[in-house]
Amino acid sequence: MFGGLREKLKAARERLGGSIQAAAEKAEPAGNGAPAAPEPGPVTEPVPSPVPATAEAAAPSLVQKVRTLIIDRELIVSEKDLDDALSELEMTLLESDVALPATDAIIGSVEKNLVGKHRKIGESVDDLVVHALRAALLDVLGQGFDLKEYIAKHERPVKILFTGVNGTGKTTTVAKIGAWLKKEGFTVVIGAGDTYRAGAIEQIGVHAERLGIRIIQHQEGADPSAVLFDAVEYAKAHKIDVVLADTAGRFHNKANLMSQLEKIKRVMKPDLVVYVDEAVAGNDAVTRAFEFDKTVGADAVVLTKADMDSRGGAAISIAHTIGKPLMFLGVGQSYDDIMAFEPATVVEELLDGGP
Amino acid sequence: MADKNTPMDQRELMTLQNYLQEYGQQAEIFVQQLQMLENGRMEAHAAIESLEGMLGEDGTVLLQIGGGASVRAKVVEPEKVLLAIGSEVVVERSNKDAVEFLKERIMEMEASQKKVAETLDRLRAQMNEINKRIEAGYQQAMAAGQTPG
Repeated sequence: MFGGLREKLKAARERLGGSIQAAAEKAEPAGNGAPAAPEPGPVTEPVPSPVPATAEAAAPSLVQKVRTLIIDRELIVSEKDLDDALSELEMTLLESDVALPATDAIIGSVEKNLVGKHRKIGESVDDLVVHALRAALLDVLGQGFDLKEYIAKHERPVKILFTGVNGTGKTTTVAKIGAWLKKEGFTVVIGAGDTYRAGAIEQIGVHAERLGIRIIQHQEGADPSAVLFDAVEYAKAHKIDVVLADTAGRFHNKANLMSQLEKIKRVMKPDLVVYVDEAVAGNDAVTRAFEFDKTVGADAVVLTKADMDSRGGAAISIAHTIGKPLMFLGVGQSYDDIMAFEPATVVEELLDGGP
Repeated sequence: MADKNTPMDQRELMTLQNYLQEYGQQAEIFVQQLQMLENGRMEAHAAIESLEGMLGEDGTVLLQIGGGASVRAKVVEPEKVLLAIGSEVVVERSNKDAVEFLKERIMEMEASQKKVAETLDRLRAQMNEINKRIEAGYQQAMAAGQTPG
């Protein structure tokens, strides 16, 4: 998953580390009088004092510089040292389809984290860079969405409505989340709300039968609001924990289908509206999620086919761009191939090989 | 599900047909994806050819202007290329860098194609297996004098 991005981040990380190291080595002659240290770690550029209001205020920065060189031998990174490496990181992210606002946020965070950074003797440059990248990525990825915790804190049945464009794997995602919830010990009912696409009711029916999950379905062409209302009523009557409501795929600019979705929302009153799209769509998925959120609202996002996405752009950008958390990633064909999105795990995987 | 010697009932045959239909729909989506990747790959190859052609002795390229019409054109700045790198961002790159970028993209697309094709193969194998079972079910039903549903 996201192998291409991982490789590119590795290269960008080496470049950042290399820039810091090169700047340190360039400044090394100035530190000749300093006691021997295991590795070069001196200053690169004059360090700007936080508030250089007076000449006196500027002086400590020089003192600090000398102190840094001679006593602590800390490394202080300047903005100029990182310019090229940061531009390269920016290109890397954009080429991986990370949305521009998310890219800007990552670059800003890495820069803020590294510029003016003091490095103690023994602390490796790579540690410094990985720490900055990790913090930046975690920042844009947000908190994720803990569905188990959400269900635990809400009145049952928790009603989850799935929306999204056609052909992104919505119905399969409903089945996978059904399987995941069952495994986590929750009882589930599926509402076959896609009464529009030929064969959709049979498709979700096959999934439900395989998984041993009760399904509520009407005839093809029936009113999806009525089907999903029945599913909620069934769940209430049988004390079911979660209702998973499948719906027909639609584009946000199709007025009739969007008003149908509005009606579904009025009738079944979902606790969560989950937008489903495919990770391989990259920036298109982010744009579509943004439009959907604007039109019908979304509380969380699921990205399918993440296993086939080497760039990872959509997964990195979506939470930051639309301000809604990523809940699950679809990572394969079988029912178990779904993973709850945990930002820390994804970041570790992206920075694989780092400390 | 019944073993090979037990005749299948109509319900089981219907379930198998539903499975087959569901796999068929999934396969169709993957075929579309494969086609999209192939189109992207071919486009990138054509772009590389044009970019390299621009730097040739003559420097003339064939420019498609829509409606199936093309004109021979000379590019004013063949060394500078405006390139959409992703996320709707366009940057200026040198001809050589643009070619390198496109080659990398082609490699990425080929890797994705390989993954999609593998998934498609798995799906098709499963579909073949289901098809065999359906056929066997029909034959058993015919032999037993039933009319399969």
